[in-house]
Amino acid sequence: MTLPQNLSGWLKLVLPWLLFVALLLLPVTSPSDNVIRLLFLTAVYSTAGLGWNLLGGMAGQVSFGFAVFFGLGSYTTALLMHAGHSPYFGFVGGAAIAMLASFFIGLPTFRLRGPYFVIATIGVTEAVRVIMNNLEITGGASGYRIIEDKPFNPLEHYYTAIVAVALAVLVSAIIANSKFGLALRAIKQDQDAAADLGVNPYTSKLWIHAIAAGLTGIAGGIYARRAGFFYPGDVFAFQTGINILLIPVIGGVGTIWGPVLGGVIFIIVEETISAKYQDFHLLIYGALLMLIVLVEPGGLIKSKRLWAGMGRLLVGLFTGTTWKALFALLQKLLRKLRFLKPQRIEGKT
Amino acid sequence: MDAAEYLDLLLKALLLAGVYAAMAVGMTVVYGVMKIVNLAHAGFLMLGAYFSFELFNRFHINPVLGAVIALPVFFLFGMLVHWLLVRWLPKSDTPTLASLLLMFGFWLVLQNLAYAKWGNDDQSIFTPLTLSAVHIGDTISIPKVNLVVFAAAVFCMVVLQIVFHRSWFGRSMRALIQNPYGAQIVGVDDQRTARLTFGLGTAFAGFAGALLGMLYSFSPDFGRPFLLRSFVIIVLGGLESVSGVALGAIVLAILETFSTVIPFPWYHQGWKTYYLPPSYQPVIPFVLLVVVLVIMPKGLAGLFNRKWKTA
Amino acid sequence: MKILEVENLTKYFGGVAALKDVSFDIPQKQICGFIGPNGAGKTTLFSVITGAHRPSAGKVQLHGKDVTGMDAASLVKKGVARTHQVVRPFKAMTVIENVQLAVHYGRRAVTRTSAAREHAMEALKLVSLDHKAPLMASTLSLGEQKRLEVARALATAPELLLLDEICGGLTGAETQAMMELLHRVREGGTTIMYVEHDMKAIMAVCDRITVLNFGQKLAEGKPEDIQNDASVIEAYLGKSDFGGKKRA
Repeated sequence: MTLPQNLSGWLKLVLPWLLFVALLLLPVTSPSDNVIRLLFLTAVYSTAGLGWNLLGGMAGQVSFGFAVFFGLGSYTTALLMHAGHSPYFGFVGGAAIAMLASFFIGLPTFRLRGPYFVIATIGVTEAVRVIMNNLEITGGASGYRIIEDKPFNPLEHYYTAIVAVALAVLVSAIIANSKFGLALRAIKQDQDAAADLGVNPYTSKLWIHAIAAGLTGIAGGIYARRAGFFYPGDVFAFQTGINILLIPVIGGVGTIWGPVLGGVIFIIVEETISAKYQDFHLLIYGALLMLIVLVEPGGLIKSKRLWAGMGRLLVGLFTGTTWKALFALLQKLLRKLRFLKPQRIEGKT
Repeated sequence: MDAAEYLDLLLKALLLAGVYAAMAVGMTVVYGVMKIVNLAHAGFLMLGAYFSFELFNRFHINPVLGAVIALPVFFLFGMLVHWLLVRWLPKSDTPTLASLLLMFGFWLVLQNLAYAKWGNDDQSIFTPLTLSAVHIGDTISIPKVNLVVFAAAVFCMVVLQIVFHRSWFGRSMRALIQNPYGAQIVGVDDQRTARLTFGLGTAFAGFAGALLGMLYSFSPDFGRPFLLRSFVIIVLGGLESVSGVALGAIVLAILETFSTVIPFPWYHQGWKTYYLPPSYQPVIPFVLLVVVLVIMPKGLAGLFNRKWKTA
Repeated sequence: MKILEVENLTKYFGGVAALKDVSFDIPQKQICGFIGPNGAGKTTLFSVITGAHRPSAGKVQLHGKDVTGMDAASLVKKGVARTHQVVRPFKAMTVIENVQLAVHYGRRAVTRTSAAREHAMEALKLVSLDHKAPLMASTLSLGEQKRLEVARALATAPELLLLDEICGGLTGAETQAMMELLHRVREGGTTIMYVEHDMKAIMAVCDRITVLNFGQKLAEGKPEDIQNDASVIEAYLGKSDFGGKKRA
């Protein structure tokens, strides 16, 4: 590990830890249950998004089918808890089953390239959803209920989720800086050239798919445990798979913190929009997605203009430039509306 | 199951194939000429259904006529969408992720607009045709709706065949399908052809959607199962000919229709013969897609071409 | 000692025979050139040997073991590496990362990133690109990108190196430097198969030359013999009315 060279390097190293500690200590300030719930959901979705990002962002294989792993995580955790095991064992079990499923899915689909692969993953979600709807052991279409003996403790769920997202960030960072991460980036750009250098794209994709599925499965399990009740139309829904994809893509595909940002945005949109304007969230996501593709494919975290603009605004608030600019703007507006008379030059008639 | 029942199923499958073909054709031309996997195709299908629905409910226009009206309307709509959104996509001779995500985002927007206007409930278009059927013998009964839809779909494909092979525009399309760079070099205006192609693809989607609205009930989420089927048909049938699409549609329709009646052996406390439960039917296009893509990447045409050596 | 034996290698693309019954052996520690008019099948030959395409017929043996149709990554692990005629650098990665990947996944199979970087720098020094190591590969000129290809292939520590037109776009001095590099690589124990259009370069550096035309082997032998071979001259220049006179 080399020490950072400059301020931004130090910031990149220190800020995540600060954030982590802040989140750990947050309950000390007695926040409302709703805040805890929102942070919980953000963490869960960010974890799933970070998982997807490993495959879709780093390796460049866009999968629409991650709802499968989310749902498998949910159901496995539920079933294991039902059999008497601790929830944490359930989460691990969920991850394991998700990873196993990822092999079965990847074996045929990773022979496909580009959009063929994407379309195949769309089909996978559909197929699994149909099957899960028909299975009796999991309660079929009517869903599954998790019953815990202990009383509902929001903080326990909160901490579990925070640890999960921290784990996901850690895994992402380790992979990104390893030889495996380098290979994945190569596969993303030019799979055949990578093969000519000794990288086996097929097995690499299978492995990263497994890790990604595992993380998503953990997220699904944590979600299910808090929700207490869920059904295939919820955890295996096509929409869930879309959400898991949208989060890293909007936030910043291929980066480590992009999915986290995406998770934050996602929850903000869900909470504010779903409350007031029902069912407009699809419109927002669709529009955001289109904007990202056309304007800033790297995602919002990469948008230098956005951050620079916000930074300048903040600095300006303190140094007065923002106020000056606002004032000038106001003057222009008033002049246009003829509330302010333009200056007359002396001597002219 | 006797011969008459098989025949009945076969006829139903063929009729279904006609509809599938009409639905897939729109996606095929866009994919072939512009190498864009148009996920918004599902949205256009859905809008086509709602378009005909509105015409039927407000102006009492026969849905088949509504479908025909949809052709020019959606053609213009498609050109507008291309001009606003699609033309900014980076060009490539293989499909790009950006195009996929862009069209997907657009599909989400369309879905949401549909929700806002029509709500979440399933709608249907009922005409006197819907409930009457043509009867042949005792067992074979074909709803008249299916026949009408099939006829319209065939008409649609004939039109496309003519455009494809006998018009300047069709030739430009075929050139771009086969060799994008070469086509540009010889002077094919790829922007204009792309715009027209997208319009054409959208027109067919609207047309097919209106027809499908007569056969099935629909909601804003309507297009999704058809997306997968369209893509399977494209992969099966290849990109260059209408007959390829037709062939792919026939294969898919027959497999789907007959899947519930073909017995297969399965081991569960002893060997038994099972029939696929109808609720598992949606799995078939997916399985077929994976099988085809892994075994015959060039579609059925690839299977035949391998035996040919002309040198 | 033969490192590579190719027997009756044939490859059809649809109805076109890109390669037809091509057979030759590659002795160890030699530089073997492959020349032929455009479309003769030279790049296809490389692609088929390194696993990018499966041959329609024929056998490829490495050290006596059958490797026909083996995939590219496995062949790299066995010590066969190639460069591409149309360069394929990883544009979104830095120059050194491009080579680092080869060190990680080539025959050396280095795991530690720091060690891999050192090996990568050595390879870059060989092709005189070390001063550009931290730059993005997309900023390199075409000639530099070709050298990067060579560095990448070398970084996999191959026994057999297949070079495809690495001198295209290089100046005279750069070509000279490249030829010296090839000699050094051969001294290091690597066998080289070399496709090239630059006649001066290939005649100067190769121990033996094979000529391909229309997918078939036309002639094989020492550079001087090839230069005077009538069928080779006819393939490149066409039949002369002077009736088989020797050309300078």
